[in-house]
Amino acid sequence: MSLRVLSDTDRQSKLVDGQSNVLAQLKGVSKKFAGASHNALEDIKLEVFQKDFLSIVGPSGCGKTSLLKMMCGLIKPSSGTIDWPTSNFQNSPENPANLSYVFQEPNLLPWMNVYENIKLPLKIVKEDIYSADEKIYEIINLVGLQGFEGYYPRQLSGGMSMRVSIARALVTQPRVLLMDEPFSALDETRRFELSQEILKIKKEKNLTVIYVTHSIYESVYLSDRIYVMQPNPGKVFEEFDFAGIEKNEDYRFTSEFFEQAKVVSDSLKRAQHA
Amino acid sequence: MPKTYSIIVIVSLFILWEILFHALNLRWYLLPPPSMILESIQSNFISLMGSLAVTIKVTLTALIASVIISVCLAIIFYFSRIVERSMMPITVILQVTPIIAIAPLISIWVDSSQMATLICAFLVAFFPLLTNTIAGLKSTDRNHLDLMKLYRANKYQLLRFVVLPNALPYFLSGLKISTGLALIGAIVGEFVIGPISGHSGLAYRIIESGYQLEIPKMFASVFLISITGILLYNAVRLLSFMILRNWHSSFSEAE
Repeated sequence: MSLRVLSDTDRQSKLVDGQSNVLAQLKGVSKKFAGASHNALEDIKLEVFQKDFLSIVGPSGCGKTSLLKMMCGLIKPSSGTIDWPTSNFQNSPENPANLSYVFQEPNLLPWMNVYENIKLPLKIVKEDIYSADEKIYEIINLVGLQGFEGYYPRQLSGGMSMRVSIARALVTQPRVLLMDEPFSALDETRRFELSQEILKIKKEKNLTVIYVTHSIYESVYLSDRIYVMQPNPGKVFEEFDFAGIEKNEDYRFTSEFFEQAKVVSDSLKRAQHA
Repeated sequence: MPKTYSIIVIVSLFILWEILFHALNLRWYLLPPPSMILESIQSNFISLMGSLAVTIKVTLTALIASVIISVCLAIIFYFSRIVERSMMPITVILQVTPIIAIAPLISIWVDSSQMATLICAFLVAFFPLLTNTIAGLKSTDRNHLDLMKLYRANKYQLLRFVVLPNALPYFLSGLKISTGLALIGAIVGEFVIGPISGHSGLAYRIIESGYQLEIPKMFASVFLISITGILLYNAVRLLSFMILRNWHSSFSEAE
């Protein structure tokens, strides 16, 4: 099975099939920033399914980051609704950490060392401090930061900082991980290494990942589904489904991979001039 | 190493001063040599040290008061734009009006000369701390704020984990300026207001030795004030270094 563009009927049937499976649903979401003459985002329709690896690709300036920030409540949509139907956790202040966000830059607090940075979300949501240490060390091992606990962010390389940032996002044991071009500042090798680890962690922790990127290859390699966005105003242009494709490390060197990358790349090209 | 060089330069200057005094046969009552100043410190030790203690006490109290008040005000200003807009002009007025001009008023309003001097020192030291701390609070990284918002941190957590640590380097550079200013305020205040009751400070020792033509003692007082200023400044530098060395870019690994 290879990737295909989903038509509206496809989407409808899929929604009916997986009704209980829908984790988040965006309907008619638009955003107009104060002082702007045009909508940054317009009429976004988007579903997130449980354990999805969902990529959002699009040219820069199409509002990918704003979309992601709206999904976790960092900015409010001007119109439309964002529902998290099965969990309803977005509006529950008692456990906001169900949803974690990995920023474009590591966004670590320079005055805290690695251990304290990772612990910070637990301190804010006031998790049981006795089990905190166990959780923190489990995550530190998971992302391979053993021995770096006492380091300060300025002593870390870009890749290491990103690991800390991911560890911080994971420490609250979230169900959804939102990532905003998390590896864009890293070199090819690091980037692959870390995305490989994200796949591993996703599997181990049963995570749902929503991943914003401008890299076609990254999205094709990592995702179950891809939303291609068009700019001015930001809209969903096409949606792709990869379900059923087995992906291992060598997948990215197969001709199948390149074919699919070409399909997405063409879509992106058309989106740019839509 | 640079520290050693500067010590060598200062010591050489003193030696040169001593040599020139004897070589040119200068008048001791115009420019006493370092040896005479040291002698004067020795012979007036108890009275000078008492005055030094008074001056230091006024300086430090004013400094602590301005730290507490400026940090509290800065936090209030940070959270309330309206309060900031309406209060900031008052603090600016206090800053731009020369302390010499207000000091006589203060001495009329406040009975205790020690308190009046303290207020002078406070007024001078307060402003750099306030503006620096506000700048520090406001320079908080947007992404750091987003991170706090994501976990729905309350205001206290926001301050404690992000906003206050972010302002620390700014606050500390304000403190460096204010430490010097507090000392200046304590001296200028006493000059205008008159001797601090009980035991007068170093400023009054200068006036007094002027009247009595004890020029070496005058120099001794000035010398002690400078030393105090240098020590206070370095204490603040050491404090900043200890607080910031782990994470701030102004302290490289080498330092």
